[in-house]
Amino acid sequence: MTVPKISTNLLGAIGGVPRPETDVVVDARDVNKWFGKLHVLKDVCIQVKRQETVVIIGPSGSGKTTFIRCVNHLEKIQGGRIFVNGHLIGYREAGDKKKLVEDREKNIARQRQEIGMVFQRFNLFPHMTALENIIEAPIHVRGMAHDEAMGIGRALLERVGLAAKEDVYPNQLSGGQQQRVAIARALAMKPALMLFDEPTSALDPEMIGEVLEVMKELAREGMTMIVVSHEMGFAREVANRVVMMDDGIIVEEGAPEQMFSAPTQERTKTFLSKIL
Amino acid sequence: MADSIRSFGTRRVLLAGFLVLVALSLAACSGQSKGATYHFQWDITWKSVFTPNGAIINGLWLTIGISIVAQILGVFLGVLAALARMSRIWPFRVISNIYIWFFRGTPLIVQLTFLFYGLLISNVFAWPNIAIGPFTIAQEVFAGTLILGVNEGAYMAEIVRAGILAVDPGQTEAAKSLGMPYRQTMTRIVLPQAARVIIPPLGNEFNNMIKNTSLLYALSVFELYTTFDSYAVTSLIYFEYMIACCVWYLLLTTIWGIVQGRIERRFARGTTTSAGGPGWRQRFFSSRRRDRAEEITVLGGH
Repeated sequence: MTVPKISTNLLGAIGGVPRPETDVVVDARDVNKWFGKLHVLKDVCIQVKRQETVVIIGPSGSGKTTFIRCVNHLEKIQGGRIFVNGHLIGYREAGDKKKLVEDREKNIARQRQEIGMVFQRFNLFPHMTALENIIEAPIHVRGMAHDEAMGIGRALLERVGLAAKEDVYPNQLSGGQQQRVAIARALAMKPALMLFDEPTSALDPEMIGEVLEVMKELAREGMTMIVVSHEMGFAREVANRVVMMDDGIIVEEGAPEQMFSAPTQERTKTFLSKIL
Repeated sequence: MADSIRSFGTRRVLLAGFLVLVALSLAACSGQSKGATYHFQWDITWKSVFTPNGAIINGLWLTIGISIVAQILGVFLGVLAALARMSRIWPFRVISNIYIWFFRGTPLIVQLTFLFYGLLISNVFAWPNIAIGPFTIAQEVFAGTLILGVNEGAYMAEIVRAGILAVDPGQTEAAKSLGMPYRQTMTRIVLPQAARVIIPPLGNEFNNMIKNTSLLYALSVFELYTTFDSYAVTSLIYFEYMIACCVWYLLLTTIWGIVQGRIERRFARGTTTSAGGPGWRQRFFSSRRRDRAEEITVLGGH
């Protein structure tokens, strides 16, 4: 299987790099989350600056997936604050004590428009073709004109190497193709931030490359991204920072060269020795 | 495959044999019943089917019209009740649960007489005659359609709920992450996918609805059955009229079966690599075992 041609100007399809409003795009402060009695996130603090790519690694159950799901409020948090683009996500502060109260559904929906998400299992809409999947939200959420959305959709599909597949339903696409459509779908909303939740974990090995190629290109073009992944090659090549999580805590973080060659924490060393 | 074809053939022979047996026993009965012999007036059946008079045609249209309107109302109420039942707001859940509990828990004919005559005679609610342009919908037709629809809604609620629960939660998350609010997520993403699961039992419900309209007999709505019954009861020619009545209902339900097959295939879009589910011919003629095998390949094809 040959790796399909990925265009070198991916973001050109949506009119260039979407510009976040603030220098610090994601500012998570002391985030705490419980699933019942299980304390899954313990005072997690992460900052992601404009055009940065942060890769979160760690064993399963360490809370890394839960954390990025909190960033677009697919999960509730019980303590702390998450700001994206300067806006408090999912909550508003009420009263003098600034207690967190869940925001109105409409406001949360609006905040999510600025945050693209790519899922482990793609979650393409099976009753829509590849192109329909991409133009759905721009038209019905952003209110974009049909023709404009079609233009953007086609340009995106072409640049992720799927120009010939616009009228194909997801179940007739391979896993790697589906995931590339899913990335295009998220990009069509011109998000200020992209979240990737283990985007290659459900893929056959020979399809991982084509998806990583798209993600690398996005990182190089200056998209702000948080990636939960076990792909160390990807992290080494494009990550600005690698964050190691274990048991709901950030064990350490640093530049990829330092993290992979000279980790300071014992926990990081044992984890990396198992997967590298 | 060879096995299923053989069983298909055997089945056919058995069915034909059974029908011959029924015909023979009927013929025997006609000759030698205990007292007076009954003289079958087959021309009455024949005429009622092939050259129906205005009253029968009228009854037919009434049955069709009431079924369709009541079913649409039922689907609408069913979707609302299903969403209310899964709502985060508890009063919605309670109201929906009481609605479903009452209308599934009492006989339809009791609901019809109670809500029509009960409310009407006690002056609680005066069912109106509805005038639409030159036409007037009589109060009993209006009430009957409404009650059938509300009853149907309670059953549809459970079907719709099952359909919604069958949609992968990842679909809702994907829609939310694109910034879709709840309503859009439901109408554009979840319900269209739930429809695929809802439509086969919905077809079944509509089939029942066509037949259940005959209960409007209790409200003296002259739909198909009441019309035939009025002839039968005045002439005491039940056998001939009721056979004709059966033929009319079978015609309606058979046509619906064909339509349903088409609809199901359309909604299978994007779920199978083939053209979709089995057509009405297969559905009607093929053996059960073959249908089962087909279902499994459809499920496995995801």
